[in-house]
Amino acid sequence: MASLAMIKHPAAIVALALLTALPARAETKGPVTDDNGVVEIPEGEPLMIGSFLALTGADAALGIDARRGIEIALDRVGATYKGHPIEISFEDETCSPEGGQTAATRLASNDQLVAILGPSCSGAARAGVPILWQHKFPVVGVGPTSPTLTDPARGPDFVGFVRVSFNDNATGKFAASYALKGAKTAATLHDGSTYGQQIVRTFEAEFKAQGGTIVAEEAVGPTDTDLRPVLTRIGTKKPDLLFAPLYVAAGAYLVRQREEVDGLKNTKLLATDPIMAPAFMTAAGKAAVDVKMVGIDFRPETLGPAYQKFVETYKSKYGEAPIAGFHAYGYDALGVLMAAIDKVAVEKDGELFIGRDALNKAIHATAGYEGLTGKLTCDHLGDCASPVYAVWQFTSGDAASYSLGTNPKRVD
Amino acid sequence: MNDDTVIARRQNVDGSGHGPSRSGNLLSWLSDAMSEWRRRSTWVDHVMLGLRIALLIIVVAGLTRSLTSNEYSARDWASFAVFGLTLGSIYALVSLGYTMVYGVLRMINFAHGDVFTTGAFGGLIVAGPFIESGSTVGLIGVLVAGASTSAAIAVLIERVAYRAFSRSGSPAPLICAIGASFVLQYTIRGLFGTGSRAYPDVAALNGAISLGIVQIPLVQLFVIAAALLAMAVLHVIVQHTTLGTSMRAVAEDREAAALMGINSDRVVTLTFMVGGTMAGVAGVLYALVFKQIHAFMGFTLGVKGFAAAVLGGIGNIPGAMAGGFLLGLSESFGPAALLSGFGIPAPYQLKDAIAYGLLVMILIFRPRGIFGERLSVKRM
Amino acid sequence: MSISPGQSGSPWWHLALKAGAVCGFTGVYIVGVGVFSAFGARSVLAHAVSLGQLLLLAVAFTGGWYAVSNRQLKPFERWLASAGTGLLAGLSYAAVLLVARGANVQGLFVAFNQPTLSAALLGQSGAGAIAALAGLASVTALAGAAIRQCPSAVRRTILAAAVAVLFGALLRDLWVSLFSTLLRGRWWVSTIYVSSGGLTWVGAGIAVLAGVAWQIAHYLIGQRRTPMIDVVILMVAALLVPLLTNAFVAQVMLLVGLYALMGMGLNIELGLAGLLDLGFVAFFAIGAYATALLTSDSPLALAHLSFWEALPVAILCAAAGGFIFGLPVLRVRGDYLALATLGLGEIVRIIVVSDMAAPAIGGAQGIVGIPRPKLIDHPMVSQLSLYYLTFALACLVAFAAWRLQHSPVGRAWTAARDDEDVAATLGLDLVRSKLRAYVLGAAFAGVAGALFATTLGSVFPQSLRLDVSINVLALLVIGGLGSLPGVFVGSFILIGLPEFLREFGEYRYLFYGFVLILVMRVRPQGLWPAPLSARHG
Repeated sequence: MASLAMIKHPAAIVALALLTALPARAETKGPVTDDNGVVEIPEGEPLMIGSFLALTGADAALGIDARRGIEIALDRVGATYKGHPIEISFEDETCSPEGGQTAATRLASNDQLVAILGPSCSGAARAGVPILWQHKFPVVGVGPTSPTLTDPARGPDFVGFVRVSFNDNATGKFAASYALKGAKTAATLHDGSTYGQQIVRTFEAEFKAQGGTIVAEEAVGPTDTDLRPVLTRIGTKKPDLLFAPLYVAAGAYLVRQREEVDGLKNTKLLATDPIMAPAFMTAAGKAAVDVKMVGIDFRPETLGPAYQKFVETYKSKYGEAPIAGFHAYGYDALGVLMAAIDKVAVEKDGELFIGRDALNKAIHATAGYEGLTGKLTCDHLGDCASPVYAVWQFTSGDAASYSLGTNPKRVD
Repeated sequence: MNDDTVIARRQNVDGSGHGPSRSGNLLSWLSDAMSEWRRRSTWVDHVMLGLRIALLIIVVAGLTRSLTSNEYSARDWASFAVFGLTLGSIYALVSLGYTMVYGVLRMINFAHGDVFTTGAFGGLIVAGPFIESGSTVGLIGVLVAGASTSAAIAVLIERVAYRAFSRSGSPAPLICAIGASFVLQYTIRGLFGTGSRAYPDVAALNGAISLGIVQIPLVQLFVIAAALLAMAVLHVIVQHTTLGTSMRAVAEDREAAALMGINSDRVVTLTFMVGGTMAGVAGVLYALVFKQIHAFMGFTLGVKGFAAAVLGGIGNIPGAMAGGFLLGLSESFGPAALLSGFGIPAPYQLKDAIAYGLLVMILIFRPRGIFGERLSVKRM
Repeated sequence: MSISPGQSGSPWWHLALKAGAVCGFTGVYIVGVGVFSAFGARSVLAHAVSLGQLLLLAVAFTGGWYAVSNRQLKPFERWLASAGTGLLAGLSYAAVLLVARGANVQGLFVAFNQPTLSAALLGQSGAGAIAALAGLASVTALAGAAIRQCPSAVRRTILAAAVAVLFGALLRDLWVSLFSTLLRGRWWVSTIYVSSGGLTWVGAGIAVLAGVAWQIAHYLIGQRRTPMIDVVILMVAALLVPLLTNAFVAQVMLLVGLYALMGMGLNIELGLAGLLDLGFVAFFAIGAYATALLTSDSPLALAHLSFWEALPVAILCAAAGGFIFGLPVLRVRGDYLALATLGLGEIVRIIVVSDMAAPAIGGAQGIVGIPRPKLIDHPMVSQLSLYYLTFALACLVAFAAWRLQHSPVGRAWTAARDDEDVAATLGLDLVRSKLRAYVLGAAFAGVAGALFATTLGSVFPQSLRLDVSINVLALLVIGGLGSLPGVFVGSFILIGLPEFLREFGEYRYLFYGFVLILVMRVRPQGLWPAPLSARHG
């Protein structure tokens, strides 16, 4: 039997090429040559951008908030670029790895897309970004905060990924530093999510490094309803503080049930921004009052007047105050992307040519971009944010009263 | 190889005089029995025996190591017991529905967990005004609303999804039940939204009572008491009313019951109604303890309710109650008493694995349950 | 639903009352669970009718159809009953929604918000809404009745045309990508589709013609069809459609193939041997994780094999898992087995995500960096090539399954399924026979798991939910237990179609539930039943 490598028949070679063809390879269209392929936008045709965010499910607030930020940013540029209408197709990544996979594949099948904004959640990013990079789409992350996404060991699948959201390494460190102000011993609790498990590990490392003691490392399932046994277990260690980066549902059970556990009478609770949403107050009721969480410092004096104006626009457009902490990232993600497109897009006879590799490099080269969330400068691993953190605290359990600044209010 | 043929063979063997002689000493009797077992057992039996021994070693080792580590105070153990009893009383109420339906229909009502969810949401519809009013009557009103919603849904499911099938051992009724379970879950989700919904606080049930070393929240005491009361009522119905008698008759032998003039369709409907009522009460009680409910909470609870029913011996009503409490306790004690001894990180992540493991073990080693099933006809 | 047509002697208005109430309730249900507003955004026909409105009209239509089919009544009374059904359905529907709007129950029932309610009431209020809806529903019910009374050839043609319009509108992405390939370019798209996604009137006309042509073709070759021809048509479509469309279609078909692979595995267990297994995802997980650990470039990897080297190992691991699980569990009977396997599947899921197993298999962080299969040094990267790989494996597995089904082993399974006691008396080793089915089913799931890992390049414990097992069971039931082509048809309907119908995403499982009950009640043998010899009564 002839070995496969000896195949000389042209039809077989064509078939092989078809089967193994890379969706993108060096090509020349019009005036542009690019290693990863070129997007050609004929005159009057829209410039198309893809987006995948958490738009349904328990954590839909994260994605909807970011989507609104993107839409406001789109309005600001009049939804056109050099005479081409800008169209954004939104997909739902359901805040889960397989949701990210499905949404990414759906986006990846449309080769007219220039780049992708999203996702909201780290699990969806871990699963979805590699699929998008197979098709050479640059991705600008809107909400994923897991350190692995911009870790030096992240692998070649993430070459096309940057994020305007912060990195949980920084969040975990900030949370640990804040915790040490009033605590010597701490316990951690995560829910088995990609996000939670990672930020807990960062927190533990930093807390120990700064001289604290971790007395318990626990975990629950995301759908567990009875957390009292695990809280009792934590209570036996009498920690000064419990760091619990949970999502809305489990977080609400936690704050309701910790009052029933004797051992936690003198334990402070510190959560993180996934629960900074009206949905959390709906679920937790009065127990939400006084709950503290680490999040971004959204105060106007930190973020400047532009943010103030943005919030006004948001309220008038959507009839409510921002519903989660990702609106500004959505706004900035589109801003960073459009700035990079502006650097590399070549016009010829009303047609627009954008090289994918050039665009990716331009996004990575973003420096000193004046965003709502501060100055954005991307490093070679894709971290662009230089976040200023704050600790927030709920002042009421009524979901209708949710408003950044008063409920929750900033306490540190 | 199935139980019946084994039994038949055993009787043959015993009948033909190969049984152990009473006059021989114990040792020879033992060795006789051993060789007898070896002769009759297959390799599968050997594997199963090994599995049993291995499990026993693991459980004993885990228990001794955990209990000797002195990680927990007596007070902690007492709190675990209270959590276990609270959850257990809810499991017990849910398991009653499985046991009764299995008794008369010989089928697993896979949607029963979601019937429980509808009870919690049925209560939610009236909970606002009723509980805010602050009266005991309001609380009872919520319980009644939950119970009647569940009862109505259970009867509806029976009419739409189960009635058409003769009980032929085909997977059709179970698949219908899975379908019904989906319909209920996603209907609730569509009506009430994807997020969790909060139950209002019942002012009268806030606070706790000191019992010796442990503080018991009033609400848990209320839940345990209400569950016990519901079970007592059920027991009276089954044992001392005409309905109960006809239910037991249908469970015993459907054809004979029909010949005695019992309308078995009516009995089946009533069984679903009673089982649904219990699940509805459980749903509201659950919501009072955990304060937030969501559309998908019934699934795991349903599986655990079924596990409790099997644990107590399916068809056995007092057994189901005992099984519920047993499962609740093993869930709250399990991770602390069994897993932490092995130094497993985050043992509470594996809490559900313990419950499911218990279910699988019971089904494998003792499908009749701890207290024995109450079905004269074990065949379908 | 459960009303039986025409108890003799009951007057026509009895029927109208009953059917009208059921239809009205169904309409309120559609609005209440949010299906109406979710489908409201999708236009079917040139800004005229949305999918949500169409669904409500279909309810009234069915009511009229049902009422006029009643043979107990005089012809004139039948028409009365059908008009009455529509009238009552519209009245009760409008009344309930008006009350809901007046009482402002949005805090409790999320779908009863003002915008949805006013859309569901056609923007009218009070008496206007009641009159409009009652009128509309009556007319629609009468239309249903009229079509019901047509001669059957005409009736079928009309229905085929309606279905074609619906498919033309809903599968827009598929048609556009297919015809763009065939017609070279997209110049025709704006003639057929409006920008919001619905068909233009021209497009609707084309769809109607297509439906009529389909019906005529069906009539002409209907006499000469054999199951073999159908299978060949299916195969050709499965080979060509992804090639002529785009990567997304290939991806969806790939998913369909994956689920069909698992379906064939469960088909051996349930369809042939009668073992109801709800923990099927466990073997899928074993296959996926074995592949990940053997091929990925993550620090957790045990080896760096190629996909082709890892595949047999993954299959063996899954089969071994089947053996270890199956040995103790298979003595459990019937429904008990379903719960026991469900428990096993859940235990696997919990352990995979736990911190306990994280040092070995990555816990919540999953395993990334799984390479694509290589074909002579070329990595298969495109969705299309991965789809063909899946297709080829599915064909291989299908062939194996078909051979098994008709071998002595397969006959032993069916014998044990139909009556365990008789089979045992005839000297069949039940445990061995069941174990064989269970191990083979697990091996098939292992193939699917290995493919899943390599096509996605990553595995996460969150993907291994019970839903996977349930999906496989559902597609098997809908296709037809014990039927090989049924597995593929069921997989396409349950896994493929919802991916194209984006609005279904949220409500996919709601429809699953209804479809499962309906199929079991109306057509328990499935949509593509197995030949009679392989099925039991």
